[in-house]
Amino acid sequence: MSKLIYSIILVVIGALVGIYLPWYAMGVAFGLVAFVLNMPLKSSFLTGFLAGFVLWVLSALWLDLQHPSTLPSRMAQVFPLKGNVFALFVLTGVLGGLFSGIWTWAGARLRQK
Amino acid sequence: MKIIKSAFPLVIALFLTYAMNQSWGTLPPLGKLFSPFHGFWMNAESPESGEPTEETLQIAGLHQPVQVVYDEMGVPHVFAQDDHDLFLAQGYLTAKDRLWQMEFQTHFAGGRISEIVGEKGIASDQFQRRMGSVYGAEKSYEGMKEDPMAKNALEAYSAGVNAYINSLSDRELPLEYKLLNYRPEPWTPIKSALFLKNMSFVLASGTDDLKMTNILRKYGREVAEDLFPNYPFQESPIIPVGSPVDFKPVPIPAGPADFTGLGSSMTTPEKDPNIGSNNWAVAGNKTVSGLPILANDPHLTLSLPSIWYQMQLVAPGVNVYGSTMPGTPNVIIGFNKNVAWGVTNVGSDVLDWYQVKFKDASKQEYWHDGKWKKTTMRIETFKIKGKKEMVDTIFFTHHGPVVYLSHEKPFRSNIPVGHALRWIAHEKSQELTTFYQLNRAKNYEDYQKALTFYSAPAQNFVFASNEGDIALWVNGKFPLKSKQQGKYLLDGTDAAADWQGFIPQAHNPHVKNPVRGFVSSANQFSTDPSYPYYLGWQYAPSERGRRINERLAVMEKITMDSLRGLQNDNYNIRARELLPLLFAQVKSPTSAQSKAIAALKSWNLVNSPESVGATIFENWVLTLQSCLWDDEFAADEKAPMNRPSMDRTIQLIKSEPSARWWDDIKTKSKESMSDIVMKSLQANVDTLVKQHGPQGPEWAWYKHKQTGVRHLIPGMDALSRLNIPIGGGGTIVNAATTKTGPSWRLVVELSKEGKPRAYGVYPGGQSGNPGSSHYDDLIDTWAKGELKPLLYLESADQKSNRLRKKITLSK
Repeated sequence: MSKLIYSIILVVIGALVGIYLPWYAMGVAFGLVAFVLNMPLKSSFLTGFLAGFVLWVLSALWLDLQHPSTLPSRMAQVFPLKGNVFALFVLTGVLGGLFSGIWTWAGARLRQK
Repeated sequence: MKIIKSAFPLVIALFLTYAMNQSWGTLPPLGKLFSPFHGFWMNAESPESGEPTEETLQIAGLHQPVQVVYDEMGVPHVFAQDDHDLFLAQGYLTAKDRLWQMEFQTHFAGGRISEIVGEKGIASDQFQRRMGSVYGAEKSYEGMKEDPMAKNALEAYSAGVNAYINSLSDRELPLEYKLLNYRPEPWTPIKSALFLKNMSFVLASGTDDLKMTNILRKYGREVAEDLFPNYPFQESPIIPVGSPVDFKPVPIPAGPADFTGLGSSMTTPEKDPNIGSNNWAVAGNKTVSGLPILANDPHLTLSLPSIWYQMQLVAPGVNVYGSTMPGTPNVIIGFNKNVAWGVTNVGSDVLDWYQVKFKDASKQEYWHDGKWKKTTMRIETFKIKGKKEMVDTIFFTHHGPVVYLSHEKPFRSNIPVGHALRWIAHEKSQELTTFYQLNRAKNYEDYQKALTFYSAPAQNFVFASNEGDIALWVNGKFPLKSKQQGKYLLDGTDAAADWQGFIPQAHNPHVKNPVRGFVSSANQFSTDPSYPYYLGWQYAPSERGRRINERLAVMEKITMDSLRGLQNDNYNIRARELLPLLFAQVKSPTSAQSKAIAALKSWNLVNSPESVGATIFENWVLTLQSCLWDDEFAADEKAPMNRPSMDRTIQLIKSEPSARWWDDIKTKSKESMSDIVMKSLQANVDTLVKQHGPQGPEWAWYKHKQTGVRHLIPGMDALSRLNIPIGGGGTIVNAATTKTGPSWRLVVELSKEGKPRAYGVYPGGQSGNPGSSHYDDLIDTWAKGELKPLLYLESADQKSNRLRKKITLSK
């Protein structure tokens, strides 16, 4: 399977887990998927990163479009981003990506005895 | 080995998960907070639009369904079938919009901030508890429980708040819980009591006794009394001079022997002196409609979420609209079909300090009235985030808690060490009964009866009814004192220095339907010196009260809009009086000084937002006070003193041009009044140039004053509104200062038909959620000096194009 397909599977699973379980369940789920599907180790971090990044940015974007408010620009001042909402989306994606990437990598690595 | 290698990334992943689930200092838990399924992204709320929406919510504990309709400001109008359901719904709906604020404020009041913020909250927490905040709340709750109505109200309100808390999943928590990483705990009636007691902290905890004693020790009684008189040079008291007295005074206790206390010691910040308020009611013979109009604007620290929350509460026997305080049942300031009422603070002296003589280091006994008496102890336990619990013992004499022992460093510089605190806030009280009855009052008699239950913080309760009555009671529980008792620190061993009971409530200063056709208050002296009892020696400066009274005296054909205008009056009567006196002293100014003087001479004496004259004048007052008094009264950091008031300074300029105080004792030469005025002018211009550059539009009053409405978390600018273009000032009717100001403006016109019309606004919004359009949507209206029409509904089905949302609360 290509990296892209793996990522799409992860995005779908991440969304389901996110809706019903605590925030960290996404990482554990990605690790499990990587383990069960025996993901290639080399690309595992990137695959996971991509999935986490895309999932968190798209979900945040969707929420922001559903409920337009001043909250993102306020949060972009709570975190020192000078009110830049674009930077807030990127930060959201990077945090989601980093977290997902590491767990996917961990799952894939555990499978490689 | 291999296993360790393959498990290594897992360890990193687990560690990262842990790290992103935790707060690190002030850094929130990043994973939890940024996850769009759990964190702050979930807190965005879109503004309502178009068609009104309807929904039904299940709330445990209701007797009958409750109808709630929200208007376009986000004000809930609540229709319940009995009092129990009304208060339960009030608790639920208030929590829905303001839960974090309610809990945070009561945590603060109860000295529990360190549970949320860790070690840095300890000093504040300890101060709160040593001042007896929890002790006072417990006593107050005891008093409230004696009235079954109040007990039921508090319990139903708690049940409502808890119904909301229990309905919340982690991802639905208000934003601040996510930022500070904690969860709400169950609400209890004692928290409502803590909130009410905290109002005494906000409004009746000012204390200058220590500073006055420091002055007494340095300059002696004659100077202290001359510079800090017991009645101002200029005043327009709340109860008009010459009002008839309708009671026979009880005997005044003999005063304690003269006592010069030990005075003190340290340096730390103190309370903001700018908290004050305005209210008035005008009689029908001065209004266009022929019925009374009432106006109120209590001044408090401006905060987000706002201290006020508007509601309309309807049940059999009550239909009241007004501002509530999140954390406590009933409407606090508002109106119903027949009456309207409002409050401003009374600056009476209800807090005194007694120098304690302990027998020995164990502090088990203290000397009083010629005997050793036993102290009692109260143990307070502090849970501190990230640290072990701390236990603190508070010693009580019969006066009250010994707030700081002689060797301790006080949290504020005006708090004496080694003294016991006697404070009205420690008394059993029944404020809830007052508000319950005011909400249902039909006439003057109901209002008068409601006030008999009220203790603290003492308030000027202004009143108007559709029977045509206007009235004002300076109301609260006032200790029966000898003249000036408690102006200075008191001798804790002298029984004659104890409070000797209380002034009978019926003897509190009051006025009904005065011939002048209006009643008003702006925190100034309650009465002129002919009032038989001593209430205190120091009240808010008289300017706001004098301005309001001079305007109301000449205003005729009054409308709600003309009173709205008076609430926003920016005229500076202090400048009107002081500037000619200062101009006469100006000698050979520099060119920058001449330019400033020219701006003042062409100034219209209005503290409008863009005014440069206002900036120069207000700053001059500060530099003048500092140049005149600081050499004598701010020289010793270890013995903080009061500075004589501006009122006393004006008197000095007018009638004591050669007083010894004009000389700057820090210089070898001898300064005259003119020298000090010039020195202060120089300091004034220099500081303004330094802050804003050469004189010009950058000196605009609002830019200099920097009024802001700040989030309750200190330093959380992103959730605050700063640099708001508004005029006014501390001694201006429109009392907007840097951090304080009119926290709720209300104007109500009563009607014979029971259809009152009202307008109001507060600097915030109904929602406490920074992600809601109702978070701060009223601030611009407030800053412009405009009001919103308040929707007073007769029934839940009443049609109005202002309704946006309907909720049915069902059991």
